[in-house]
Amino acid sequence: MHQFMYVKPKDITEAVRILAENGEKVRVLAGGTDLIVRMVDKIWKPEVVIDIKGLTGLSGIREIDNYGVAIGAATPLNEIIGHPLIQQHFAVLAEGAHEIGSCQIRNRATLGGNLCNASPLADTAPALLVLDAVAVVQGEEERLIPMTEFFAGPGKTILARGELLKEIRIPYLPTESKGIYYKHARTKAVDLASVGVAVLALKPGEIRIALGAVAPTPVRAKKAEAFLSGKEITTGVIKEAVALVQEEVSPITDIRATEEYRREIIAVLVRRGLYEIQKFLRGE
Amino acid sequence: MMKHRIRFTINGEVREMEVKSNQRLLDLIRNDLDLTGTKEGCAGGECGACTVLVDGKAINSCLMLAVEADGKEILTIEGLAEGMVLDPIQESFVEHGALQCGFCIPGMIMSAKALLKKNPHPSEMEIREAISGNLCRCTGYEKIIEAILNVTQKQA
Ligand SMILES: Cc1cc2nc3c(=O)[nH]c(=O)nc-3n(C[C@H](O)[C@H](O)[C@H](O)COP(=O)(O)OP(=O)(O)OC[C@H]3O[C@@H](n4cnc5c(N)ncnc54)[C@H](O)[C@@H]3O)c2cc1C
Ligand code: FES
Ligand code: FES
Repeated sequence: MHQFMYVKPKDITEAVRILAENGEKVRVLAGGTDLIVRMVDKIWKPEVVIDIKGLTGLSGIREIDNYGVAIGAATPLNEIIGHPLIQQHFAVLAEGAHEIGSCQIRNRATLGGNLCNASPLADTAPALLVLDAVAVVQGEEERLIPMTEFFAGPGKTILARGELLKEIRIPYLPTESKGIYYKHARTKAVDLASVGVAVLALKPGEIRIALGAVAPTPVRAKKAEAFLSGKEITTGVIKEAVALVQEEVSPITDIRATEEYRREIIAVLVRRGLYEIQKFLRGE
Repeated sequence: MMKHRIRFTINGEVREMEVKSNQRLLDLIRNDLDLTGTKEGCAGGECGACTVLVDGKAINSCLMLAVEADGKEILTIEGLAEGMVLDPIQESFVEHGALQCGFCIPGMIMSAKALLKKNPHPSEMEIREAISGNLCRCTGYEKIIEAILNVTQKQA
């Protein structure tokens, strides 16, 4: 690894100041499972590395009265997966997070790192998209950005110079719900998604769908959602919804899968998700 | 700040050392502390050969900076046996012949250690899950899983 300056700031204010002063030369270190790999491979050579783990306000899970739950950006995935509030209300996020890497990786990797790394295949992103999560961004001031607007392209977010991701807020779902995350990969463990699909249903008839690894950023399938809204989920309806999802994605060919194969898998996973949702909405 | 003084516990012993910012925990363990039981396979979080416990949790020491160990408690494969008495997990690996070349074994045992600390009686699925980040090119995993299952049955 190249030489760099390692800094452990005392609080968020200091972290934000260092980020603002150093611009392109600085990188945030959370779990390091993306950052250290890229530094070892000499893809990234930041002059300053700023370790945000353990800063007050950046770690842990808390309930926000009359709203939902806030997850600190630097909270390790394993802590999120096992947390009772997440298990009880947002199991689909736990499913997504559980798909990441191995036990060792999840003990270090953080939610904020997964999102700020902004890979189109980030396994926590589809769940957060269907949950209508909100990113709390901290710079000189704080701003709230809906997850649907957080990603700007492969490896890019809307974070500006001098900003970091502070926490993710997820509103409680207003009615009885069911969420599912499917990941398709080449091997069962420690592989990246070729396609990821999250489906969420809210009684009586709202359905949300989000996908990873099928476009430059993780995406919501808004056209399919609008079409499905309030409809009885029949085989015909599912077929039409799958066709609409295909219009909203733009998969590419890469080392994990070809575009054509991705389109097949998208159809299979969306269909599978909607049949599960059909059972749920029918009370089966 | 390219150099840092850190204080940590390794295998029960408190140490204070100077480390470089670009040194990995794996380098500190193998090169500076001469604890070469921890292996380097892929250097990218994929193989688990470098697994150690930090504050009781299994992590890949190739993906952690040495400076991040400040204030932490580290356990490596060398810290398991007490004198000539092996840890029950090591004992069970020997009994089951759950190894061939041995390269993956320190990592496997550390993953098993983390699992059994948290969950003394895991199911076979839980064992498979716990070692899913540890690659073995030799054994086919079956004997490793049997060995870990057997530790828990003995203690039951
Ligand atoms: C073997 C292996 C397997 C993996 N498998 C998967 C997988 O299956 N699915 C998947 O989605 N990912 C996978 N990953 C990628 C990685 O583990 C995840 O993206 C992880 O969540 C990153 O979190 P981190 O805390 O380690 O991030 P870091 O490496 O610390 O940071 C990642 C990036 O985000 C920035 N950053 C981090 N936190 C913040 C913040 N709060 N504010 C602003 N910027 C920030 C960093 O500067 C860096 O650019 C894998 C990685 C490895 C090594
Ligand atoms: S050497 Fe660390 S996971 Fe392979
Ligand atoms: S025993 Fe050779 S790699 Fe596992």
